[in-house]
Amino acid sequence: MSNNRKKLKSIILAGIIIAVAFAGGIWYVFTQKFTDTTKEKADYTINAFDLINEFKKNDSLANKKYAEKIITVTGLVTEVETADTTVNIKMADTTSGSYAIFAFQQQNLTEAKAIKEGDKVSIKGSCSGGAYSQILETEFITFKRCALTK
Amino acid sequence: MKKTILILALALSSATMFAQKKITTSGVINFNATTSLDPLPKADNKTVVAALDTKTGAIAFEVIMKSFSFANPMMQDHFNSSSWLDTDKFPTSTFKGNITNFSTVNLKKDGTYPADVRGDLTIHGVTKSVTTKGTIVVSGKIIAANAAFTVQVADYGITGQAIDAGKVTKEPKITVAIEFK
Repeated sequence: MSNNRKKLKSIILAGIIIAVAFAGGIWYVFTQKFTDTTKEKADYTINAFDLINEFKKNDSLANKKYAEKIITVTGLVTEVETADTTVNIKMADTTSGSYAIFAFQQQNLTEAKAIKEGDKVSIKGSCSGGAYSQILETEFITFKRCALTK
Repeated sequence: MKKTILILALALSSATMFAQKKITTSGVINFNATTSLDPLPKADNKTVVAALDTKTGAIAFEVIMKSFSFANPMMQDHFNSSSWLDTDKFPTSTFKGNITNFSTVNLKKDGTYPADVRGDLTIHGVTKSVTTKGTIVVSGKIIAANAAFTVQVADYGITGQAIDAGKVTKEPKITVAIEFK
């Protein structure tokens, strides 16, 4: 009888531990946020011109290589696009019009606002991939969660 | 002489065509599929390419689907996965349509004008006709186009257990905010 009670207690305890661990796992997954990009290690470092050319040559291959990867891109700012809540920095190949555009993460919007056209900057962000724009008739590559590298 | 006139005419014609098309590469689209069971499936896309023909009211936009930025990494993975939007296979979504009452919008006068929008929305490789009401806000040289509408995910071939379980709404709200300068 005593052995049975001990066994029952152990089973209940194990059940509670499993339930708490499961709930903890679920809570962790559902409350998890993306790491601040400034603290992420870049998978690739490349200049804007080379990146744009790689997408122009073969965007399927380039998407496989770069999409959802953290990339540091260096280049000249050709345009700063501001709207109510957004500041996007653009680096374009002025010959073809193809471009890479960087949407900054919330905590780095202030530094993005200080960037001027013609500045040479290095920006780290999550590459969302590129595509040929039917509207612009050029290749465009987009980034999210961006920050200036120091 | 004739050649010079022809070149001038062509130059003027292309200048006029260029002037009547406003373009931005920083439009914003918000996607909200949250339910009372799950507040996570919502995202912003801040790098939307959009064009407005200020002569005809033709309006178009296109997005790279992986540009939708979620707060939660797991939700972003689900959104892009082959069982949902399958963004490797269908990397972009597009809208091509018209503001059907564009003749009532006075782009030379500041104000907020109601806009009836009709066009074809392509998501997940499926094209459906949509109609919605929005607004055009004219402020100096800036034209802001705003609209909010819902889509039936099933219409675009998007199904799944999370939708059946009520964790993702069957009718996500799509909010479009595009500023043409």
